[in-house]
Amino acid sequence: MKKELDTLKKEREVAPRQKDRESQSVADTAPKRETAEGQAIADVHRQVAPEVTLPVVQPEGLLGTTKLLLAGWADGMFEARNGQVSTFSASFDPIFLWELTPKILFDSRLEIDPSGGGTNVNLVNAQISYLLNDYMVLGAGEFFSPSNVFVERFEPQWINKLPDRPLAIYHGILPNISVGVQARGGFPIGSTRVDYAFYVSNGPVLNTFDARSAGTLDFNSYTDNNDNKAVGGRVGFLPIPGVEVGYGFETSKPGFQGTTFSRVQALVQSVDLEVTRNSYLLKGRINLFAQYAWSHVDHAVYDPDGSLGFGPLAFTSKQDGGYAELAYRPTKLDNDFLRNLEMIFRWDHLSRDPSGRGDPEETRWTLGLNYWLSPSTVLKAAYEWDQPKGERNRNALLIQTAMGF
Amino acid sequence: MIAARRIFSVLVLLLVSTSWSLFAEPKTNRKADDKSSSGVSNDSYRGLSGEELWSNNCMRCHNIRPPTMYSDAQWDVIVHHMRLRANITGQEQRAIVAFLKSAK
Repeated sequence: MKKELDTLKKEREVAPRQKDRESQSVADTAPKRETAEGQAIADVHRQVAPEVTLPVVQPEGLLGTTKLLLAGWADGMFEARNGQVSTFSASFDPIFLWELTPKILFDSRLEIDPSGGGTNVNLVNAQISYLLNDYMVLGAGEFFSPSNVFVERFEPQWINKLPDRPLAIYHGILPNISVGVQARGGFPIGSTRVDYAFYVSNGPVLNTFDARSAGTLDFNSYTDNNDNKAVGGRVGFLPIPGVEVGYGFETSKPGFQGTTFSRVQALVQSVDLEVTRNSYLLKGRINLFAQYAWSHVDHAVYDPDGSLGFGPLAFTSKQDGGYAELAYRPTKLDNDFLRNLEMIFRWDHLSRDPSGRGDPEETRWTLGLNYWLSPSTVLKAAYEWDQPKGERNRNALLIQTAMGF
Repeated sequence: MIAARRIFSVLVLLLVSTSWSLFAEPKTNRKADDKSSSGVSNDSYRGLSGEELWSNNCMRCHNIRPPTMYSDAQWDVIVHHMRLRANITGQEQRAIVAFLKSAK
């Protein structure tokens, strides 16, 4: 008992001294940090806004060690398409980035847009990733499918150079979002670089219930319909800076478990090319993006007993489509107005009617002109020649503004 | 249609392969540009400075945003996130972040 009492007395004597030391330590360091950071920020402010009064700078330590950032984009659009009612639309896509430690990141994107009498809110992705080493990152959750390079890199409307998105990317040939796990990264080989991403996910669902969609894959079903998992990935090769060629794939068994479709195998493949070049001769920057995809589903008999009213319908399902886009921006001209203009040309194509009873083949040609108000704020105008085979044209005027933040 | 697609593919490949040297920026200019920006960051990877890595990797997909647009802490998070998108290596990530922080 006496020992415990002595110990408590000693602790009471030591505690105030320790507190004083800590207070002194904070007093010693805080002003220095404030002074140093304040000076750095003051330098920056002097460069951009000399008259602005500097805010009081808080020591960073008080804000914690995790880092949360709200990024994303917003856009507003007008579309007048032949045969359809012209309409305005808008979208807000916040991206939440939470770096818990320098190795662990949570990223998630929402898609919020007005629709009918209400507002649609969709969870687009939500993923936890871990930096295993300099050449590999592990991720789990709902992520953009690495086999489809467009959705990973060019989907944000301030990055996508035209107001609408190319055919084949979002029309059931390739996955957009996957739920599962992935490993990805890049590594140098001499002066070149290879990047890779491989994943295991729930995979698509094979459409079997109506004639129009029979044999196509539904990639928007995020819960699995069988014990088979889809395996996919993409490998990219960068022979020189500014040039990348890639190959993506996903293989799966998309049929419902316990049905005659459970053994049907599906394979989707994609090749892509990205070229970015600053041209001295053309006084500007050239971007060439191209991607082409193929989907193959094994031979199967749909509605074999005719109970759904369209069978038996036997075929091997094949679809394909892709796009090529060329953009030029005269970034090296002296005139500010001209330097902010960008011209875009795109060809895209989609053939997605494996049963012969669905949508016709479609080819579009699009010309666009952008004006960049800032590096991530753009005004876009485009005219699209859209000709589905055997149907009247769906030519469209598209105007959009988009801002990335 | 298949023939048209093949022709289009061949034309694209031809455009890339033949226009590379034609569109290339003269080396003298590049050296001048490098000189003008030297001293901003000493970090490099595989002979490329943080600035070159930043420019090469970011501009492949979108306009580059000026280093002053975000704080140091925000750049940490943004480049971490971009490492997942662009599959850059850890060394490249560190060199780019070092450049962005030093270029303000």
